[in-house]
Amino acid sequence: MGRNVCIIGGGMSLWGVRQATARDLYQEAGKACFDDVPGLSNKDVDGLLVGSAFTERSNFQTHLAPLVAEYLGIKPKNICCRVELLCASGSSGIILAYGLIKSGLADVILVTGGEKLYTPQRWEVFYSELGTGDHDFDGAQGLGLPPPFFSMVAQKHMKEYGTTEEQLSMVSVKNRRNGARNPKAQFQKEITLEDALNAPPIVRPLKLFDCCPVTDGAAAVIIASEERAREYTDKPLVYIKGTGQASVNNASANMPSMTTWEALKIASQEAYRKAGVKPSDIDVAQTHDCFTISEIIEYEDLGFCEKGEGGLFVEEGRSDFGGDVPVNTDGGLLSCGHPFGGTGIRQAIEILRQLRGDAFKQVEGARTGLTHNLSGLTAAHTVLIYGRDV
Amino acid sequence: MKGISILEGKYAMSMDMYPLQDKSFNRIHPFYDNLKEGRFTTTKCKDCGTRSFPPRVLCPECLSEEMEWVDLPMEGTVLCVSEQLAGVPLGFTPPLIMAHVDLDGELSYLGRVQNCQAGELKAGDRVKVVAIPIESIPAEGKKGAIIEMERVFYVFEKI
Repeated sequence: MGRNVCIIGGGMSLWGVRQATARDLYQEAGKACFDDVPGLSNKDVDGLLVGSAFTERSNFQTHLAPLVAEYLGIKPKNICCRVELLCASGSSGIILAYGLIKSGLADVILVTGGEKLYTPQRWEVFYSELGTGDHDFDGAQGLGLPPPFFSMVAQKHMKEYGTTEEQLSMVSVKNRRNGARNPKAQFQKEITLEDALNAPPIVRPLKLFDCCPVTDGAAAVIIASEERAREYTDKPLVYIKGTGQASVNNASANMPSMTTWEALKIASQEAYRKAGVKPSDIDVAQTHDCFTISEIIEYEDLGFCEKGEGGLFVEEGRSDFGGDVPVNTDGGLLSCGHPFGGTGIRQAIEILRQLRGDAFKQVEGARTGLTHNLSGLTAAHTVLIYGRDV
Repeated sequence: MKGISILEGKYAMSMDMYPLQDKSFNRIHPFYDNLKEGRFTTTKCKDCGTRSFPPRVLCPECLSEEMEWVDLPMEGTVLCVSEQLAGVPLGFTPPLIMAHVDLDGELSYLGRVQNCQAGELKAGDRVKVVAIPIESIPAEGKKGAIIEMERVFYVFEKI
């Protein structure tokens, strides 16, 4: 079955509208990551994976991994490449690092990811979003910018299951409250339910606080074999226990459903099976709250509650601290922002801290955690399960 | 200002929103040729009968390359509408109205609705598929040749 694989440290740049280049951000993230593992030097790293989706489009930079390696003083010898799955690029890098280390092809891999999305002209990133679905057919319709799509997801979920705008807002209130404690988040300010309900519409029924922002930022983690992990850290070890990544359609014409995410169900079932756990074993989760409706559907399709009860799940506080499974304890995409390639890595860092016991706000006794990304217009889903127990 | 090509009045095809449709660039060019004639079509596998959309050169079910072109319905029923009033992508004017449309049980997809104001379209309304011309932008060919591309695309319109 291969070797045990651990996540042993992580760090991130400040996320937001940054006065910095992409390479500045990777250096900030790398520094924060190495600072988290004082026993490890950049010279100990034998592999590098970089998750970034818009690097060619926003920064005119292809062949990104050797650039990041040079800037971080890493001389990879087992793997040195970029990974792209839009919003799940970073999580994809962690899955690949896990496989490479488990199989013995590498021992210590730094997985980083990030984006520099803001240019002086804000229309550029919106234009580039047209390339994120099936460009020739859906993109050329003007589809690709997420709010119109997720507005339809929300409308349909409200119609099919009675989910309310208040319940959507409750997700953003919870996540903004969590993010207010996170010094690296784009938004570190709490909002009230009234703020959320009275916010200007983006695409109805989605309002300002229902939508994650556009973000510059990077994050990095160290993944290592258990044997090497013990050399570098005396903190509690956190293992990668199971992974799943699934896609059942890409084009809008081939979506099985807008409100039940089949690929998420498949990816999570694979991850649960490999990890030998079930949804009720998850103590803390970071799920892809690109929109408030996304988090509600994720509760359901990850198996935290019955189908259609996602709205009630947040309303009853079951996804908050003290509930069944606290979700997006670091603020999620709604507070931290969403530099595509960075998000999955930011989630892994929060799970690492929660399981290690040194989070900003601790889920007491957490031993098993989960991360989830959706990417594109729900065209792929990525799930990882981490645990203190092998 | 050498080195800043976009400022020399040139157009970057790699930044183009619409696909290159001519047969010199695209093996599914009949989709666009048919669209110019007012037909909305896609490919069907001659071996296993699977109809795919978007059209393609390979059957994703049986991997046959034997494809034929078939007509799709050109009218359908709106299932859901989204209205983007601001921040629409370059190349579009607000309001950008998108609809999830069921083409009479044959196919459903998300598409743009043209000539439609916010509040004008709702679930249950009927729409039709119409072909629209894409403004021709001259591209540079070999030896200074200028290539004019006549292109077309498809959108919905309320009936």
